[in-house]
Amino acid sequence: MSDVLVQGLAGIALAVVAVGLAWRLGLGLSKELAVAAARAVVQLTAVGAVIVVIFEVPALAFAFVAVMLTTAAFTAGRRIGGIPNARRWAFAAIAVPALTATGFLLAVGAFDFTPRAAVPTAGILIGGAMAATSLTGRRLLEELDSAHAEIEARLCLGDSARDALRPTIRRAIHTGLTPAIDQTRSVGLVTLPGAFVGLLLGGATPAEAASTQLVVLLSLLAVELAAAALLSEFVQRAVIAPGERIHHGSSPWRSK
Amino acid sequence: MRSPATSGPYSQAVAEGLSCERVRVGQVLRDVALTVAPGEVVALTAPSGAGKSTLLRAVVRLVGMDGGVVTLDGVDVATLDPRALRRRVGFVAQRPVMLPGTVADNLAYGLDEPPDMAAALDAAGLDDDFAARDASKLSGGEQARVAIARALTRKPEVLLLDEPTSGLDAPLAEAIGRHVRELAASGLAICLTSHDRAVVTGWADGEVRLAATIRGERDDGTRRDGEAR
Repeated sequence: MSDVLVQGLAGIALAVVAVGLAWRLGLGLSKELAVAAARAVVQLTAVGAVIVVIFEVPALAFAFVAVMLTTAAFTAGRRIGGIPNARRWAFAAIAVPALTATGFLLAVGAFDFTPRAAVPTAGILIGGAMAATSLTGRRLLEELDSAHAEIEARLCLGDSARDALRPTIRRAIHTGLTPAIDQTRSVGLVTLPGAFVGLLLGGATPAEAASTQLVVLLSLLAVELAAAALLSEFVQRAVIAPGERIHHGSSPWRSK
Repeated sequence: MRSPATSGPYSQAVAEGLSCERVRVGQVLRDVALTVAPGEVVALTAPSGAGKSTLLRAVVRLVGMDGGVVTLDGVDVATLDPRALRRRVGFVAQRPVMLPGTVADNLAYGLDEPPDMAAALDAAGLDDDFAARDASKLSGGEQARVAIARALTRKPEVLLLDEPTSGLDAPLAEAIGRHVRELAASGLAICLTSHDRAVVTGWADGEVRLAATIRGERDDGTRRDGEAR
């Protein structure tokens, strides 16, 4: 039996354990776990096939990155659906930092300018930016509702709308960045991240794997912070109304 | 109406006070009128949902108006810098929010120069030792007083109080009522909303009723500027 088949079957077996455990514990998660696992099998199989083609036709790498960005924007946009044009803003918040950082890493020679290096690098950075965008946006929406009285109190004391929103934005960005900061802080002690493990399993030396992982992790800090900050800026522009006031209501920027 | 007094330590007398003419906000307020002169306390009364809070919020431009004009000392507030307006017109919400930090932090919030804490606390009827206390740990009545004092440290000309006795027991409400009368005597123009008849009759010089199709009238029977649909 080939290694690939054994790996696939082992993974599926553990996914079945997860589904069974969720069912046994009555968590109501069995279906969601099964669907997520099935999607992962299908998507990664398809991606594996597509990447083979991309390696042969490098121009397709751009199309593949565009698909990743669009999917990330849809996923993050759904999480922050209360914001007008959520997907467009999510796309910008994810694409600008992720593509800028990828371009920088390729330009300085940190990674080869090849589809084999560029696509995974862009993918990891897009994924990080998507997570930060979703978390920051979600928290920001919750805060705009729950902290509305506090924001108005600050306005009433003479703050500008941006000043009044600043503590709320800070809290949201803190939330959005916490996973990236924790991951970076605990790397090697608590977790061995995916790129490191993948490179080791692929035959790279531990030093090579660590070096690559370090570049990715540190880049993620910048990319995720920029994504969270960009999204916060877009949301601020949406909620600040003329006359230094904040739109409020169930959907804060929709009603007076 | 009381004669306008000179400026107090935490207020500035205005020449003409506050005036609202034909204010409209969505479906909530329709053609509402109201005037508050310096040294005067006007109570705004209405059934729940009739737009009392909305009117106060419109005055400080926390909500946009769909029509009408609000003037402060004869100047349309829409032409004023909103930040400056909100310092000149202090607004204390029904459930005052204490910002993180001590009472002193709250009183000094956003000010270039720290205020005279003793005077600010005294103006709110609070002892000096309140300055160092965590504002979030105060009782509802204490928070209400700090919120009024915090608005006063901006030296406003007009004070808007939204349901100032909401959730307070009678002795506390009476203490705040005395405080409000003292502030008016120092020259502040004060407009408050209340469901409590004791507040309206005990604190206010005049009453404006906002009720469906009923013109606002003063409690002394003379027609007041209030008008609402």
